[in-house]
Amino acid sequence: MASVELLILFLVGAGVIAYILTRFNTFLGSIFTIFAVMFVFVSLAGYGFGMNMDTTVNILPGISFTETYLGFYFAIIIVFVYLMVSFFHPYYLSEYKYKNSYNLLFLLSLAGILGAFYTDNFLNLFFFFELIIWTTMFLIPQGKSKEAAVSYFGFSIAGSVAMLIGIFITYNVSGTFSIYQGLAALSGTNAIFVFVLFIIAAFAKLGSFPLHIWLPIAHGNAPHPFSPVLSGALVKLGAFIGVLALIRIAPATGLFTAMDLPIGQYVVAILGSMSIVFGTLMAIKEDDAKKLLAYSSMSHGGYILVAFSILNGIAFAGGFYHILAHALASAGAFMAIAAVARATGTTKMKELGGMIHKMPITYLAYLIAIISMAGIPPMGGFISKWLIFQAVIDKGMIFVGIAVFFGSVGSFLYVFRPLAALFLGQELTEYKKVKEAPLLMLIPTFILMGLNVYTGVFPGGILKFINNIIVELGYTGIEVSTYEINGTNGILNPALIGLIFAVGSGIAFLIFIVLKKSRKVELMDTYTAANFVHDEHLLHYAVDFYAPLERLYEKQSNWMTKFYTALAEKVRELGKLGKYLFMSKNISTTVFWIVAIIIFLLWGEVL
Amino acid sequence: MLSTKYTEKTKLTKDEIDRKWWEVGDYFRRNSLWLLMYCTGCCAVELPPSMTSAYDMERLGMGPMATPRQADILLVSGYLSLKTLRRLIYTYEQMSEPKYVIGLGSCPINGGIYHDSHAVINQLDQYIPVDVYVAGCMPNPESILNGFVDLMESIKNKTANSWKKYRDNNEWYKQNQKDALGEVIIHDEFHE
Amino acid sequence: MILNILIGIGIAFFGFVLQTSIAGINRKIVGRLQKRHGPRWYQEFIDIFKLLSKRSITHGWIFDFGVIMALGGIIATAMFMPLTNNFLAFENFDNFFIFVYLIAVGMLGMAMSASGSGNPWASIGVMRALTTMLAYEVPFLIVVLTIINLTGNSSLTEIMLYQQASGNNWFLIALPIGGLVGFIALMGMLGKKPFETYVAPAEIASGPMVEYGGKQLGMLFIMNEISAFIEVSLFVHLFLGGATNIFEFLIKYFVVYTLANLISSVNGRFKIDQVVKFFYKWPLIMAVTQAVIAIYFGWVI
Repeated sequence: MASVELLILFLVGAGVIAYILTRFNTFLGSIFTIFAVMFVFVSLAGYGFGMNMDTTVNILPGISFTETYLGFYFAIIIVFVYLMVSFFHPYYLSEYKYKNSYNLLFLLSLAGILGAFYTDNFLNLFFFFELIIWTTMFLIPQGKSKEAAVSYFGFSIAGSVAMLIGIFITYNVSGTFSIYQGLAALSGTNAIFVFVLFIIAAFAKLGSFPLHIWLPIAHGNAPHPFSPVLSGALVKLGAFIGVLALIRIAPATGLFTAMDLPIGQYVVAILGSMSIVFGTLMAIKEDDAKKLLAYSSMSHGGYILVAFSILNGIAFAGGFYHILAHALASAGAFMAIAAVARATGTTKMKELGGMIHKMPITYLAYLIAIISMAGIPPMGGFISKWLIFQAVIDKGMIFVGIAVFFGSVGSFLYVFRPLAALFLGQELTEYKKVKEAPLLMLIPTFILMGLNVYTGVFPGGILKFINNIIVELGYTGIEVSTYEINGTNGILNPALIGLIFAVGSGIAFLIFIVLKKSRKVELMDTYTAANFVHDEHLLHYAVDFYAPLERLYEKQSNWMTKFYTALAEKVRELGKLGKYLFMSKNISTTVFWIVAIIIFLLWGEVL
Repeated sequence: MLSTKYTEKTKLTKDEIDRKWWEVGDYFRRNSLWLLMYCTGCCAVELPPSMTSAYDMERLGMGPMATPRQADILLVSGYLSLKTLRRLIYTYEQMSEPKYVIGLGSCPINGGIYHDSHAVINQLDQYIPVDVYVAGCMPNPESILNGFVDLMESIKNKTANSWKKYRDNNEWYKQNQKDALGEVIIHDEFHE
Repeated sequence: MILNILIGIGIAFFGFVLQTSIAGINRKIVGRLQKRHGPRWYQEFIDIFKLLSKRSITHGWIFDFGVIMALGGIIATAMFMPLTNNFLAFENFDNFFIFVYLIAVGMLGMAMSASGSGNPWASIGVMRALTTMLAYEVPFLIVVLTIINLTGNSSLTEIMLYQQASGNNWFLIALPIGGLVGFIALMGMLGKKPFETYVAPAEIASGPMVEYGGKQLGMLFIMNEISAFIEVSLFVHLFLGGATNIFEFLIKYFVVYTLANLISSVNGRFKIDQVVKFFYKWPLIMAVTQAVIAIYFGWVI
């Protein structure tokens, strides 16, 4: 189906059908959801790449669509993550309290996403954003806690309000709600206002410092199959607004001559860097595997912000590629953790160990995902990080450089922790009967593994598509041939790296195989300074993995949380004051205030 | 002058090839012997001088190693009480083959000054096979190094076969170990 | 292409032989420093071949797979390394970041295999190795940022040529503070004392290597030698102006490695948090100072 409008209507209709089906049979409803999402994905992939989607609107009132490379790029990534995750539904939904509505809300939020990326109207954008936020808000509390939903909703609404004010200012200046004309018409102080407001919205959605508190709470407590969507897909909405603000608006502030960068952009880059550093440090400290990956999303959000604030083609290419690479990697990692959580019932790393012996494929999926996440070749994350590094180095941004390098090395630390504590190590007795995930759940796992490798070895085609976006945004794209990427200070041939890695591993394998065969021993038969240890738990090193490092910043680690707790306290007190003034039990007081406010408002109108 | 007569090349059998490789391996093995020091008794005090500048064990390619997995030689220095014997056997079985055992001092040979103690075993080679003994109470560094050179010689002459002996006569050794130690049920890491 | 790959394998093999011999010579030098005779210069070779000839144990497939991945990753990295200006396997593709990140595959493989052995000491060793990496990598990369920003190219050959073109103006001299930081970071990379925390044989039973014996340990030794080759060569190419011919390379290589080893042999060992604190104090401040001076003020000797 080539029409965006019809696809959205289809998703709404499919949502209703899925609701009814799920009511009778959870498995059937979930299978239907898979096919519905697959249908959307196939139609989007079939028509969208050539920009052949039909954007006319016949039925929906007041809504208009247009087709951009930028919107399509985001849409296809997010729909893909939705598709991958929907394979997990049949095995998880039956545990949830409101399982009937799960598939409905899931499909509705996907409808919102399609709308948000295809619309050309600010009000529509806001409407679809709210649709996404409201539907997902009811999905999150089906997991562990309701507080998570409150936190997610609060920060999302803060972002939305900021965006709404920005939209109104734009309308005030330009007299149109059209996104591209409106943003083009901004100038001077207004542009700076809108820029700041949109950046706030972007930070809130992306979970960047200083609006990051909701991210680990929501990711960690969301239902297991929904966490990959949150991290791989929904967070990227923030990146979309960030692109609008940083590139489309790009207010004319003062220029840092040393770096040839506007101050506004530089401030965003610094905030992005802080987000990288904080995300990395908190992820190293975290014990819950899902929260750890949530903090890593925060740090990767920082990379995306840094990339988009450096105004040149190569940085944009890095940023867009990072969105793809991180979506694939974080979806893969979250889904592996979800599979483990389904088998064992926990995501706490200190309670788990030796899952590799029972779930080798899940382990491989996680391994490949984290190699990409840490930016190690031959996976997708390396390409994007290489492009971002180039841009940072060329601009000579030293302090941003410290952050991006720190985040990149720090990511080795935090991604290794679940690997060591959760998958490797001693095989704990309580999980001896665990089984590998069922076949339907392995399908997306395999697809994600393949794509993580593909994005790292043959990025040429994707980068050529990204060049379209960059040209659309008004910058020059990067030089890409089939195998080579031309950066500003070097050439990269990812396929060659992949090949050489294969050759190297081949040699190592040859050395390994010609030598004498090893004797297999039990895991417990290990060097213990000749002590007889009989309990696996005593030989499993999982608690406080990076204790010496954590000790160095232990005291500083929760001041952001404290700040927000204090802020919440103040807001609550303000609310109490309001309640005391306006909501008193004495009716006459309330009536007095209502009349007073109405008079005040009318008076303002007259003036 | 070359003979025109065709002589068939003698093909080496698999055993012969293996033996040739084994001899090559023996060269490397005898020139790089890594020690796992099981310092149970007083003889251990003689090891630092034989390692450091005075006698310099490293010139023979020897050196101390941290774990039994990496080591070639299990160096039993001194008397062995029953409790340490159990751990010694555990350690010995963790080493990778080929492995050698050196008994230091008179205690592993015949019990030495502890020969009448109820807590100490008298003959080490009842429980695990020993390649080289270095007698003395304590042996001085020269004799220790001499013992190492003896081990190298016997590796060269293919007489250092204790690890094969342990494999072939495993039942006998196990029986001896069981007689001395008895079977023990382990409760936790501190109590047997 | 096949020829290039063969040259690459040749470079990796050369690196192994070179580093193993020089490590052996250095063992002798350290022996002399301690008034000992020291081992033969080819002792390292004997050690490695002995290990390969032994019958080892394995703790399951991940234990073996990790070792293969470790050695494979390191061999692949070494295949990109240029030896001199014009002797390299893949022209134009000797990008600096390949070395920093492809080497990480090897490290990851080793870490994975070590954790897979189920020994807590191995995990502690891996934890320490990663923490040390977090410590030394950031100051080092800031210095390299300065170098790449100045030369405008991240290809090692181009960086070498840049230094040779301007009258043998090595970056060690042009950026003296940065050069010092680079050398300290090199000590960290090579795991020399005082940054030897993650091996620490007397403390955590040789850390990641605790469960290895026989061929796995031998392969890790080979990996260790080749990664040392990569790290020292990186330093030679980045700071010492590379080499126009192979003898120059050998001399520079020998001097750098021996100096690092001599400093190592008279030092004690830091605790792991001291390593982090150290690197984030002086080397980082020095690196940033150097970068600010060189990039923003343009004061390059």
